[in-house]
Amino acid sequence: MEQGRSTWAIYLSLTCGLLVMLLPLPVEWRFIRPDFVALFLFYWVLALPHRVGVTTAFLLGVGQDLIEGSPIGLSSLGLMVATIVAIANYQRIRQFDAIQQSLMILVLMMLSSGIEHWLRDGINIPVASWAGLVNLAVSTVCWLPIRQVLRYFRRYYEVI
Amino acid sequence: MTAVQKGAVDVIALATGVILAPAEAWTRMLAAMQSNSELREELLRLEQENRVLKGRTQRLASVLAENARYRALLNSARDVEDQLIAAKIIAISPDPARHVVVIDKGSLDGIEQGQAVLGEEGLMGQIVLSGDSSSRVVMITDSAHALPVQVNRSGLRAIAEGSGALDRLLIRHLPASADIRVGDLLVTSGLGGRFPSGYPVARVTQVESPAGEAFALVTAEPTSALDRGRFVLVLQGSARAEGES
Repeated sequence: MEQGRSTWAIYLSLTCGLLVMLLPLPVEWRFIRPDFVALFLFYWVLALPHRVGVTTAFLLGVGQDLIEGSPIGLSSLGLMVATIVAIANYQRIRQFDAIQQSLMILVLMMLSSGIEHWLRDGINIPVASWAGLVNLAVSTVCWLPIRQVLRYFRRYYEVI
Repeated sequence: MTAVQKGAVDVIALATGVILAPAEAWTRMLAAMQSNSELREELLRLEQENRVLKGRTQRLASVLAENARYRALLNSARDVEDQLIAAKIIAISPDPARHVVVIDKGSLDGIEQGQAVLGEEGLMGQIVLSGDSSSRVVMITDSAHALPVQVNRSGLRAIAEGSGALDRLLIRHLPASADIRVGDLLVTSGLGGRFPSGYPVARVTQVESPAGEAFALVTAEPTSALDRGRFVLVLQGSARAEGES
């Protein structure tokens, strides 16, 4: 970790993303919680692609699996593939306006959750039904506020 | 891998405790501010309830003894009296597709994989992973869960599968002519050796036998309100079977 670049702030915010997932919601209302882990990850990938990449995505996926109690690595693959797509297109995505960017995030989320869905199907772990789609929609709507908050956070701590 | 997952359960329990500390403090403060008269009322209510429950269990001892004698006559194994451990639900898995919760007792308290977990009114689930001081419980409605049950009225055996919805269990592969009706109580049958027999599981809510289909379509609602209440009981005496969770 290099001095003066406030890299710790990245990991702090990603950890917060994981911790928010721990807040207990009623069993049947969990799908209205936006996928903070993926949204936080995509923000940092788009903002600092030289700091946050596939390795972070992998570790974050492992963290998420440990929290959910799924087999370790199940959500990693989806996040990693989506991260690669985001890194390949970050300059373009940054230029998009609000709506376009939200839709792009939706595409990334669909990619990562689609891969997770496919893996789960393969090893017989229950998959969310229509509720999963609601979750995607909620996450898409939450992208702009989350981006705003994280941008403020990044500038405040001068993360580069 | 399992060791890591076990450690993770404990860490999650701890982290959730820390995040929820303010809420917990608030609840405690409210409880502390509850007026004396309210508390007295509650006490009266509980005393009354206790009296009723005691009255109901008066004959339990003699019935148990009688049951033991019958079992001896039938030369069948004696039912071990089950030990119960009370535990609190401290976290819910964020994965919306699963019905998995974390409770605050673990292997240090004698909890092991496969033990049955009871809610207030009936079976709730089973332990799938026990960390040192907390464990993960999968509920009977999880769509990866199924358990052997028996219709209390007729003795008919069946398998109750989780549906992924909290208020629904599915019973497939019962012949259309099976003796099962709406309102029937399903209890654990004890087959499979994981759940001890005789605990209430669900009440049948729907029985349909569509013309031309070989099997009846039966759904049941768990007797225990799986999303209410924070306390559960873990059955210590329950038979443990090796195998996948």
